[in-house]
Amino acid sequence: MRRLIGTVLAAACLPAQAQDAQPAAAPQTVVVSSTRDPVDKSYRKMILGMERFERQHALAPQATLRFRLLPRLPTVNMRGITLKVVGDRITVPVPVAGDNSFVLPRNEQALREDAAVIANRKTTSMTWRAQVTTPGLPPDTRRLGDLRLECLVGVEAGLVSNSSPLFGWISNALNSPEQVCNSPDGNFLFFTERPLFSVTLRAGERTEILPFRMLYAGGEQTRDMLAYCDCQVMLDRTYYAPIWDRSWPDDTLVSFDYMEDAPAAAPATVEGTP
Amino acid sequence: MKRFAFPVLAAMLLAGCAAQAPQPGTVVAADRFSQLVVPGRTTRAELLAAFGPTKSVNFDSGYQSWLYSAPAGGGRSEELVLLLDRDGIVRKMRRRPPYPTDPQR
Repeated sequence: MRRLIGTVLAAACLPAQAQDAQPAAAPQTVVVSSTRDPVDKSYRKMILGMERFERQHALAPQATLRFRLLPRLPTVNMRGITLKVVGDRITVPVPVAGDNSFVLPRNEQALREDAAVIANRKTTSMTWRAQVTTPGLPPDTRRLGDLRLECLVGVEAGLVSNSSPLFGWISNALNSPEQVCNSPDGNFLFFTERPLFSVTLRAGERTEILPFRMLYAGGEQTRDMLAYCDCQVMLDRTYYAPIWDRSWPDDTLVSFDYMEDAPAAAPATVEGTP
Repeated sequence: MKRFAFPVLAAMLLAGCAAQAPQPGTVVAADRFSQLVVPGRTTRAELLAAFGPTKSVNFDSGYQSWLYSAPAGGGRSEELVLLLDRDGIVRKMRRRPPYPTDPQR
């Protein structure tokens, strides 16, 4: 893909004299099968994230890995999203589940072609996360080891889009997965399914409520600042987990108290009831 | 000179982006707070009249989260967090005591 773009740019930049020097030649045709947005997700990076998951699976031994698309702009329609891996000559469709999560298939040709992972939405309208889930946890809880691995995979895979392009470039240059995920200043945001009121950690006899500064992206975001945060439309679902604090074991349960109770399930219909 | 300019610029930009130190909420007396604040009944206007404005976060849903703090002895404080609904009624309250593992301010 990059080679193609480079070729096109080179052709466009040829001096006029060089073009005039071949008046008899047939016009050259460059076939561009797809274009790549600079902010599209890199397939290679996402595969690196999957490899990171395998290397550090001990953090969440029972968990599986998926990726997930989340809204970044209030206008984005999160229904009916389709996803594909697009290289120079290869296109691989990626099935997206109803919750907008997906498993990325491994494809050697797409890797060689430095493919991009592209959704049928403007890339900047969504944010992406790794989703590491241990099965069988109590409702409204996460496991801290799962969150630790989500951070490592997400940063390795280049999923987080918390800044303007300039700031993103700088922060990407400075922050490795270890730097981000093992530091209290790593600023890696997690999101709950519903608006959040309180988060409690439980490990054996130890129980602590997270302080206010660890909810809502620190509670310091102005409306202008929110435009540079991928929590932009999910501020009330946003929290920091103390993934850097090894005094909390991987089996620590992170439980959520939401702003509103879960919507009541529809009453079951009993056959024969008039 | 140019070699120095970029790192300095980058550092300045990053410093500008760094999270500001969180501002603690307005300090109140815990007993009085417990007496006056009743989820489902207390209003925004009553909070302002009794305790004054404090740190808050506004959400697109119209909900707000307000943070007050109360002295808890030993130079520490507990957090008193309120959830206000779209009508300005306190819906939920939580108290977070200081923990031994909290960083010292």
